[in-house]
Amino acid sequence: MAKIIVVTSGKGGVGKTTSSAAIATGLALQGHKTVVVDFDVGLRNLDLIMGCERRVVYDFVNVINKEATLNQALIKDKRTDGLFILPASQTRDKDALTMEGVQTVLDDLSKDFEFIICDSPAGIEQGAQMALYFADEAIVVTNPEVSSVRDSDRILGILQSKSMRAEQGKNVKEHLLLTRYNPDRVATAEMLSVADVEEILAVPLVGVIPESEAVLKASNQGAPVILDQESNAGQAYTDAVRRLLGETVEYRFIEAQKKGFFKRLLGGK
Amino acid sequence: MSQQCFRMKGTTLTSIVLDVLKFEPDEFEQQLATKIASAPQFFTRSSLILQINAAMSATEFELLVALCKKHQLQPMAVKGKVGALKATINDLGLSDISQSKSTDSQISPSEEGSTVTSTKESSESAEASGKPKIIDRPVRSGQQVYAQGGDLIIVAPVSEGAEILADGNIHVYGTMRGRALAGVKGDTQARIFCQQVEAELLSIAGRFVMQDTIQSQCWKQPAQAYLEDDTLVVSALV
Ligand SMILES: Nc1ncnc2c1ncn2[C@@H]1O[C@H](COP(=O)(O)OP(=O)(O)OP(=O)(O)O)[C@@H](O)[C@H]1O
Ligand SMILES: [Mg+2]
Repeated sequence: MAKIIVVTSGKGGVGKTTSSAAIATGLALQGHKTVVVDFDVGLRNLDLIMGCERRVVYDFVNVINKEATLNQALIKDKRTDGLFILPASQTRDKDALTMEGVQTVLDDLSKDFEFIICDSPAGIEQGAQMALYFADEAIVVTNPEVSSVRDSDRILGILQSKSMRAEQGKNVKEHLLLTRYNPDRVATAEMLSVADVEEILAVPLVGVIPESEAVLKASNQGAPVILDQESNAGQAYTDAVRRLLGETVEYRFIEAQKKGFFKRLLGGK
Repeated sequence: MSQQCFRMKGTTLTSIVLDVLKFEPDEFEQQLATKIASAPQFFTRSSLILQINAAMSATEFELLVALCKKHQLQPMAVKGKVGALKATINDLGLSDISQSKSTDSQISPSEEGSTVTSTKESSESAEASGKPKIIDRPVRSGQQVYAQGGDLIIVAPVSEGAEILADGNIHVYGTMRGRALAGVKGDTQARIFCQQVEAELLSIAGRFVMQDTIQSQCWKQPAQAYLEDDTLVVSALV
């Protein structure tokens, strides 16, 4: 049985797709057969970030409508072994996903994969609720700012009341992933700190991803940023994946850098 | 000069928004009745804001208002898609607040971010026994928890935008950032105890204080709220 993990946030543009791609890749790199599913029907973003947009023939909606088999729609990642992508359709409207259809597809995927990563659309409406309904665990992607934190709080409430596990009286395991973290702006109090966000949301932290130009570069190249191990963001995602798998890993990139000459000389990047 | 007869004051009050998603009279009335039956004391004679989401005719709107009144709810204002209804709203003595700003929290168990407890549970166990309801998970923005017939004890934080209510006392062992309403059926002896108060609103038996007032008193400290001569007092614990 696969573990189903939804990557969700409430607020848009906080880094769900970037994180879904990186984490799915990271899990596969650690030897766990993983599929990443794009629930953002109508926008189709994940395949661009995974660099497989030209290989999309059939999509999630085709499979639900039985116009294609799951195997026809799954795209095998070219760079990373044991990683597959189930793309969303760009042309359909967001109501194309049905609860029964999604359940059938997830059940089928469960037989073959260890992890199913669901990239949720933004918002707290139907699309986001569909993406989180079947989840065993949730990665709540949050930026260190008040509006994002509030939306994360909202989606956590939905997760614990409207998901299938909640309806069965069970818990959905929660993980907090802080992204676009800028220690310098935290130091000047323009942004909330890791401790602030943890305190407000009361959810265990799984990772802190620094704001990094490497992310944009990676998405332009269609290669998840976790493959760029030179970058802070890539390394931070690797740490997050290891924590997700139960390891204890120390946090990096959360202190403001002293940009002294000696510091740089003595090995800081 | 004669004595002043009145003063004008501003106020903020918490009220229930009835979010009308679809209006099909029979179905609507049935669902409304079920909803009210789940927490009769809480809903009875509640003042209500009607949020109109789908266009409806004047006749339908009149029927909607009549149904609410029949079930002991008191519509006072209307917002949302009021376009064609302005005259009717006026005739019925309601206010059109479609232009004013307000923040809503969800309270209906059948909707998004619903209550942590099932309605059945609250109407069966709590009322008969008066046993306290204990919640040990965070109450998030958009959620509402109501302890009917007794105390509410929360061993977790309560987020901004969340609402907790009890017929009895309320205890929050965690940061209290949302709204807490104790003694909602009128118990003036009810109190609210918070380990760390950062509340948006504290209310006892209908009297309340807002965040601005709390901020100048025991902000971020252990505190309790109680009524003293009909005035809500917030004071430091210990
Ligand atoms: N750590 C980061 N550093 C810098 N830029 C980032 C970082 N993470 C994400 N971004 C940028 O933020 C933007 C939004 O990212 P992404 O598409 O992953 O968000 P999303 O939550 O999936 O958005 P949507 O809600 O639209 O689906 C992108 O331009 C991405 O490059
Ligand atoms: Mg996205």
